[in-house]
Amino acid sequence: MTSIRRLVLSAALLGMTLSLYAQDKGSVLIKGGTVLTVTKGTLENTDVLIRDGKIEKIASGIAAPANTKVIEAKGLFVMPGIIDAHSHAALDAINEATSPVTSEVFTGEVLNPFEVNIYHALAGGVTTIHAMHGSANAIGGECETIKLRYGVKDAQALKMEGAPRTIKFALGENPTRVHGGGSNILPRTRMGVEFVIRESFAKAKEYGAAWDKYNKDKQQKGFHGAPPVYNLRLETLSEILKGNIIIHCHSYRSDEILSLLKVCQDYGVKRLVFQHVNEGFKVAPELAQYGAMASVFADWWAYKFEVYYSTAYNAAILTRNGVVTSINSDDGELMRHLYHEAGKTQKYGALNDDEALSLITINPAKQLGIESRVGSLEVGKEGDVAIFKGHPLSIYAVPTVTIVDGLVRFDREKDVDDMRLSVDPKEPLEAAVIHTQQDQSDNCMKDAEEIFYNLFDLK
Amino acid sequence: MKNPSRSSGLLLLLALMGILPCRLHAQDVRILSPVSRSYAITQATVVQAPGKKLDRATVLVRDGVIVGVGQNLTIPADATVIKGDSLYVYAGFIDGLSRVGVNKPKEESTKERQKDPGNPAPEAAGITPYVDVRALLNPVEKSIEEWRALGFTAGQVVPYGGMLPGHAGIVYYNGEATDKSVLNSFSGLYSELTPAERMYPATILGVLAKWKELYRQASYTKAFAGVYASNKTGVESPASDRVLEAFYPVIDKTVPVVFKAEKNLDVQRVIALKTQLGFNVTIAEIKEGWDLIPSLKPNAKVFLSLDIPEEKKDDKGKVDAAKKKDEAAMFPDSVERKALEKRRDDFIALYTGQAGAFQKGGVPFGFSTMSAKSKDVKGNLKRMIKAGLTEDAALAALTINAAQALGIGDRLGTIENGKIANLVISRKPYFDDKSKVVYVFIAGKQYKIDAPADDKAAGTKKEKP
Repeated sequence: MTSIRRLVLSAALLGMTLSLYAQDKGSVLIKGGTVLTVTKGTLENTDVLIRDGKIEKIASGIAAPANTKVIEAKGLFVMPGIIDAHSHAALDAINEATSPVTSEVFTGEVLNPFEVNIYHALAGGVTTIHAMHGSANAIGGECETIKLRYGVKDAQALKMEGAPRTIKFALGENPTRVHGGGSNILPRTRMGVEFVIRESFAKAKEYGAAWDKYNKDKQQKGFHGAPPVYNLRLETLSEILKGNIIIHCHSYRSDEILSLLKVCQDYGVKRLVFQHVNEGFKVAPELAQYGAMASVFADWWAYKFEVYYSTAYNAAILTRNGVVTSINSDDGELMRHLYHEAGKTQKYGALNDDEALSLITINPAKQLGIESRVGSLEVGKEGDVAIFKGHPLSIYAVPTVTIVDGLVRFDREKDVDDMRLSVDPKEPLEAAVIHTQQDQSDNCMKDAEEIFYNLFDLK
Repeated sequence: MKNPSRSSGLLLLLALMGILPCRLHAQDVRILSPVSRSYAITQATVVQAPGKKLDRATVLVRDGVIVGVGQNLTIPADATVIKGDSLYVYAGFIDGLSRVGVNKPKEESTKERQKDPGNPAPEAAGITPYVDVRALLNPVEKSIEEWRALGFTAGQVVPYGGMLPGHAGIVYYNGEATDKSVLNSFSGLYSELTPAERMYPATILGVLAKWKELYRQASYTKAFAGVYASNKTGVESPASDRVLEAFYPVIDKTVPVVFKAEKNLDVQRVIALKTQLGFNVTIAEIKEGWDLIPSLKPNAKVFLSLDIPEEKKDDKGKVDAAKKKDEAAMFPDSVERKALEKRRDDFIALYTGQAGAFQKGGVPFGFSTMSAKSKDVKGNLKRMIKAGLTEDAALAALTINAAQALGIGDRLGTIENGKIANLVISRKPYFDDKSKVVYVFIAGKQYKIDAPADDKAAGTKKEKP
């Protein structure tokens, strides 16, 4: 009954770990592991030294500096922390599903550091996630790239400071069902979705021009005209047109993927990542030529009419065609074993180890614009590391330690049973141990289910 | 009188128009005019301010204000004398945020489905920042009496509604006609992070975006209104906009935004909004603030909720067999259940200890009652004191700190010459287990709460029919 004894001590242990987490960055020496750098090959029996949150040295026989924690990694595999380019974890709201365009909303304002899912993801070697708005709207909200610093209670402290701005777009059935079917407004069809996006870009262009004119007029002596009406929605859209925000677009079918490529081309928008992209394999050369990237599932489909034409070879075909490709979760459970998902590309497509690992490390980093900071084990990068017993692409892989900014945020040996940061006294005790359907609902359509299901009389 | 709801609505309307004197429409209160407006509470223990106690002292009240505090005062000939030998006198309590005496809008039975849920009319979406709370005050609302009986004499009250329900105002809990109960008609712009139902903003995402957009729009229109005022020729005149104009005093910083923020993350989001936009803020009804003391310190205008979770009693023996069986299946091991209970109880202790933690952290605070039940309040205060809050700090939160945070510290919150005569008079010290509130004074008017039946001194005959 050791596990039970541990549980009794959980509160005390938690208190200790929390005080450790109070500092932002840590130092740690990981000794003697097989280091999977992803970008610089595999190094046997090698040490990785992280100091004050950054990788300082990768070599063999590094002496531990004073006051540096040492992790013995002999026989273990050391890889960069896993990055999930499509998640809805750690958010209090996901869809503002009342309007087909909601570029004014921002998931970075509704982060929830208390969500225990963050810890569950750490237990799967994940260190960075893209906390996205949902896919109910043609143009959804801005998203936030966060680091899984579980233990901090300040929502701002989860943010990966300096990560580029990103925004969610969505094509196909979700926006047409919610708005066309649910509210009887635009868009009802894929044509409508394209129109909504084009119209939004056109308005943003006019809006930007109106402000430019106003700011110029204001310089003239005696000018006393009114400013244009401030519009947060169009402010964000203008920033997309200026190239300051990366579009991450929920999409399945090749025709709509090409149509958005055309829209972006017409408006000079270059930074574009397609999410899901189940038919990406059909248009891989076009994606590669445009420089658009793709974030896919390993083998998940057939949950909607538009998601039938799919293949587990998708990631491999995209990769071989030169598309920067990642594998994402879009789900709290799947997020815990992205290394398995990456491994599937070796069965379906025969990607080599570095290619397969790139799908969950450096490639999602590129898609989020953070590849100079994370996604591989290189000197100068941030100290985000996942340590595995067994090769991470093996079916026998077990994550043992996960490090964020040089701080151990998950350690299988010290994994207490009750890792909640906050307890609601009004909740029944059982809530802590029952895993409900609700817990799995951090998906693309959360907060839009009512409209979505009412449409089909599903309850 | 066939339609009682209509007739009471008519009465209220007449009252609001000032046609009816208060005594008429508040017919079941039946207040008799006192002979004089001069009172002397003699030989009492007077707690002028937290930690400042006078034994066997006298408090003189005349025409609504305190005109004397101390020993050896001459009792005016016309004064109604209250013998205070066994009584304790405190400044009247002040509630930082509530809806006491505010009419609740009727639930619309069939909520109109929006044709375009992304573009609802502002009032449908809970955006009515221009609403004057005075128009909603109801002097016969029943909770006024309950809160007064606990010693609350005034409070900041707000309209019901969504994200921007309207103006906050400071009123006396005296149950008098609207204009006789208002101390400050506009103490702040009231806001909650409450989404609209099935229309924009339907989530916290939308609420925060809408808030920022309205504030910035108002900043622009306000600036343009200034430009226009100085030169009206050659340009279109600015359109009237009730919603945006309601933000102008906030932008000028003549009033704060009064936010209700119960949960930790609500408070964090309010602070983030304030930091981005730069308005003055009062954060009220905080329930989970113990981790946020450092970030609240610079704001320092906070009201902690008097609602705290119940203590869980060991329900062994009382549990029925079926529940026991369920629990056995859920927790085959009682050690696991005990560990979960312990964590829950640890958190109950954090809620209960919140006020004490703020005291230790050096952040002055008042109390608010919006979600508290009046019958729990005294017990909750005692639990907070047991958990580390000092009695002086509890009293400060109920009186002087609240007055200062509401900007009325010059008039209320202590027992001093010249201040408004809001008093709580109890038998035994207020926080004592067996204490009872005997009288309450509001703006110099005496209310009998638990006075002896033959007490003729009380100016009221009977509070209930």
